[in-house]
Amino acid sequence: MPTVLRQAAEVEFHEELEELAKWDDRERPPSWRLSPWAVATYILGGKLSNGFEVLPKYIGSRRLIEIAISTLATDRALLLLGVPGTAKSWVSEHLAAAISGDSTLMVQGTAATGEESIRYGWNYARLLSEGPTRSALVPSPVLRAMEEGRIARVEELTRTPSDVQDALITILSEKALPIPELNQRVEARKGFSIIATANSRDRGVNELSSALRRRFNTVVLPVPETLEEEVDIVRRRVAALGRVLELPGEPPALEEVRRVVTIFRELREGKTGDKKTRLKSPSGSLSTAEAISVVTSGHALAVHFGDGQARATDLASGLFGAIVKDPVQDRTVLEEYLETVLKEREGWKDLYRACRELL
Amino acid sequence: MSVHVFGIRHHGPGSARGLQAELDRLEPDIVLVEGPPDAEGLIPFCSNKDLVPPVAMLVHVVDDPRRAVFYPLACFSPEWHAMRHSLQHGLPCWFIDLPQANRLAEPVAEASGEPAGDPRTASPRMDPLTYLARAAGLDDGEDWWGRMMEERREASGVFDAVLESMTALRSELAMELDRTEARREAHMRQRIREAQKRGFQRIAVVCGAWHAPALNEMPSAEKDDELLQGLKSVSVTSTWIPWSHDRLSIASGYGAGVVSPGWYRHLFTCSSDVEVRWLARVACLLREKDLDASPAQVIEAVRLAECLAAMRGRPVVGLSELDDAAESVLCQGNPLFLRMVHDRLIVDEVLGRVPAETPRVPLQRDIEKRQKRLHLRAKAEERLQELDLRKETDLERSRLLHRLCLLGIDWGEEQGVRGKKGTFREVWRLRWDPELSIRVIEASVWGSCVEEACETRVRHEARSLKELAELTRLLDRVLLSDLSAVVTDIVQRIDELSAVSVGMLELMDALPPLGKALRYGNVHRTSHELVAPIVDALVARIAVGLPGACASLNDPAATEMLSRLTHVHQTIQLLKQPEHGRIWGQALEKLVRQGGANGLIAGRSARLLLDTRSLSSAEAGVWMRRALSRSVPPAGAAAWIEGFLGGSGLLLLHDLKLWAIIEEWIEELSTERFVEVVPLLRRTFATFAPAERRQLGERVRGSGVAAGARVSRSPSTPFNAGRAAEALPLVAKLLGLELPPGDEPRG
Repeated sequence: MPTVLRQAAEVEFHEELEELAKWDDRERPPSWRLSPWAVATYILGGKLSNGFEVLPKYIGSRRLIEIAISTLATDRALLLLGVPGTAKSWVSEHLAAAISGDSTLMVQGTAATGEESIRYGWNYARLLSEGPTRSALVPSPVLRAMEEGRIARVEELTRTPSDVQDALITILSEKALPIPELNQRVEARKGFSIIATANSRDRGVNELSSALRRRFNTVVLPVPETLEEEVDIVRRRVAALGRVLELPGEPPALEEVRRVVTIFRELREGKTGDKKTRLKSPSGSLSTAEAISVVTSGHALAVHFGDGQARATDLASGLFGAIVKDPVQDRTVLEEYLETVLKEREGWKDLYRACRELL
Repeated sequence: MSVHVFGIRHHGPGSARGLQAELDRLEPDIVLVEGPPDAEGLIPFCSNKDLVPPVAMLVHVVDDPRRAVFYPLACFSPEWHAMRHSLQHGLPCWFIDLPQANRLAEPVAEASGEPAGDPRTASPRMDPLTYLARAAGLDDGEDWWGRMMEERREASGVFDAVLESMTALRSELAMELDRTEARREAHMRQRIREAQKRGFQRIAVVCGAWHAPALNEMPSAEKDDELLQGLKSVSVTSTWIPWSHDRLSIASGYGAGVVSPGWYRHLFTCSSDVEVRWLARVACLLREKDLDASPAQVIEAVRLAECLAAMRGRPVVGLSELDDAAESVLCQGNPLFLRMVHDRLIVDEVLGRVPAETPRVPLQRDIEKRQKRLHLRAKAEERLQELDLRKETDLERSRLLHRLCLLGIDWGEEQGVRGKKGTFREVWRLRWDPELSIRVIEASVWGSCVEEACETRVRHEARSLKELAELTRLLDRVLLSDLSAVVTDIVQRIDELSAVSVGMLELMDALPPLGKALRYGNVHRTSHELVAPIVDALVARIAVGLPGACASLNDPAATEMLSRLTHVHQTIQLLKQPEHGRIWGQALEKLVRQGGANGLIAGRSARLLLDTRSLSSAEAGVWMRRALSRSVPPAGAAAWIEGFLGGSGLLLLHDLKLWAIIEEWIEELSTERFVEVVPLLRRTFATFAPAERRQLGERVRGSGVAAGARVSRSPSTPFNAGRAAEALPLVAKLLGLELPPGDEPRG
């Protein structure tokens, strides 16, 4: 059992990747570990002809994943857009792991991200002693990806300042990065590409310039389409997380997962599942990722402080935290929801009472 | 002697292309097409260069044009090319389906009043395809067929494969054909036998893929004869009508429709670089909408589409790959952008044309003649046409549009004119729905040219209408259409009806449109003399009947009457006829004098008289005092005030005498009666503008009449001549005047 809390995708799924590589006999683009078809199988899951089962990493539209892989196969950069918690980073990590066998060449975009995280920095001690040499240069993950012909990931691209974003333009159009200090130029090897993710709710923070936008193919990852799809996602992730956290006992029952997901979907969409009642939506995005954490924490609570079975009381506190982001507005939203919807719903009395107690 | 059956998909570009190639190779000596024999006379038109698809063969029952069927044909329809082929090579071409004369004779099964669509959809052809698609690992039969057949760029051997797969399907499913289907296939076989009997050597049969196996294997002729016995028949006629791509799409509800007529047309017309041209067109349309779409992006989109097709294991790039690529590269993942150009791209608004010589109903020819003369083309897409009625052409256009509306051919819809005032402007929203062609045929029962048809129809309608208001509305439209010949008919009818009509409200409702018609008459140059007499008669009737009608009205009835009263008054003001004014004035005066009239009506009448200066302010004061006298119940008095003031306190602000009367009346009220009246008065005064109310309030506070007097007093500030003189030179300069020398400023 690994001691690392969260392993990189290529480590966690190395068995699958190896099996796929063995089985995969189709043509691979230069520097790709797998063929595009095998990458699609890795992401979407499936049974190989030799009986090996590949777990689905992304549950949703096959079409979108195909577009994403084709984009990278035509050496274009890929921009994954979506509201928080729609598996953008998750998909980007697994794509990089399957294509380059390395998902760690990653730049986390923040307001403080500087140009050196995209281009290169200097080891100042060496710079002072040796002058500008290649060994004094600290390559950014992007530069390393270029040199090695791998996939670099830029997370939360719209959070990085615009001038830093612009550093990507040269890289994406010239596929090369000049280093004027050394009078050199790093040219990207075949197989290099960038997967960027951006939050469509944050679009206003540092919106991409049209010059940069044009260099990306955009794929918008939607929230899960149906209740069943979302329940499936939550259930699988909760089970996987439970294994990692070594939580004893059974993962939460399907029925509990379904209830949490139902509440999330109803509040997110602003109407009940039967579309008969209109609801107010809380300020948070209530993503699938949050549903996963609610169920996991409920599971953990039950295991450590309860009888090992995730019950309404164990889930209620997580639900409350996920829904009530704004202490005043969201509270009334939740209260209204409890009173108008949950109270009347057959068999939901326990959850209603548990939530009521927290308000 | 050989029979070659080509199973096609109606409106399939791949089928059409394949069929073209096969026919060229086979060189048949006769072409048989699954189509209605009743419309065989239409085939020769296919070589006419003025017959431009999309068009449809329209077959309808002679006496009842509503019972009609369409056979739409696009430029990518295989049947279209089969017909063209036969014409180009001078071959006979027969339609071999069961005649519509027989099919339309059957009682209508579907309840929907809509003229039924393409009868070819009745076959269960689409459902069985799903079985084949499932076998190929796809969900949708349409999608499967599209991939296998229509998007294929080269088509050798396709028809054999179609025949084989359909034969397998039909034998596997062993589906029971319904009676009509069985008869149709029987009839088709009979015609094939007939062609064989006539000694044709190479017979090409073009039919829907589903029917192909049934025509390939011939059962005994007797059995078919038996099936075809006892057919009823009606008399039908057929013609070409223009069709539109919009109505070829599945989304329009057309069962044999295609998902994207625009894509199919592109597939058919484009022989190379299909995906490049398509994406370039997308980019072009996006640019028209002011969205970025550079050639560099088109290049990337093409690469992505090709890669996607490879990933999905498709031999060629299809529409779904192109859509995905366009959305991801050109539209930055935003499907909204693509939807903006969807109509132009996917549906591809195209309207077909038919040549002038097609057997059309005479009315249709007349309409087309006029459209041509007035440069008003019938187009499928919606557009606005602004007409300036002072111009001769625009006036004629307006008349034509109004006339077509009268005939129920709603090509144009008149829009309220916004921003631009004036009676000489009309704005029309034009859209030629192909279905309108049916309406034209329907309307042709009224006559063979627009004018004649309109007149007959209006006369008929005038006779059947029983409501005066409806008649006046009709008159309104007739006047706008400039159909002077029928005006007298309507006038007589209105005269008749208004004479016997006891409803004063009805009469009063009839007047405003008539008055408007008279006023518009100048622009439309409809003869004045025709309408003026009716208006005269109406005004007279109203004036006579009004006092009686207002004699004892309760409050709700009075309110209703009040609005009519106002409208009639406005109309009379508009017409500016002294005679009208006189008799109307008399009527109003009677209302004021009449003891039993509702206060609301009496008050309003007094006000209207005051406004037209038929009543002096002093006289109005007298009437008001009388209405507010002690003997009148306070509620009635309050109603009188409400009617008199009519939603505005300005009159009271300006006329101090009237103000004084009201003030006096209120002061005289006992406490009890005051309490009774307050809510009523409040209701009246609450409708006034806030500024008016404020001014009225100020006046009350400033002790009534005196306050009003103070305003008119001269300003009390003393005049300082010395300071005024200092400003004089500048004022003089500004005005360009010479100051008299003695007035030089001092000091």
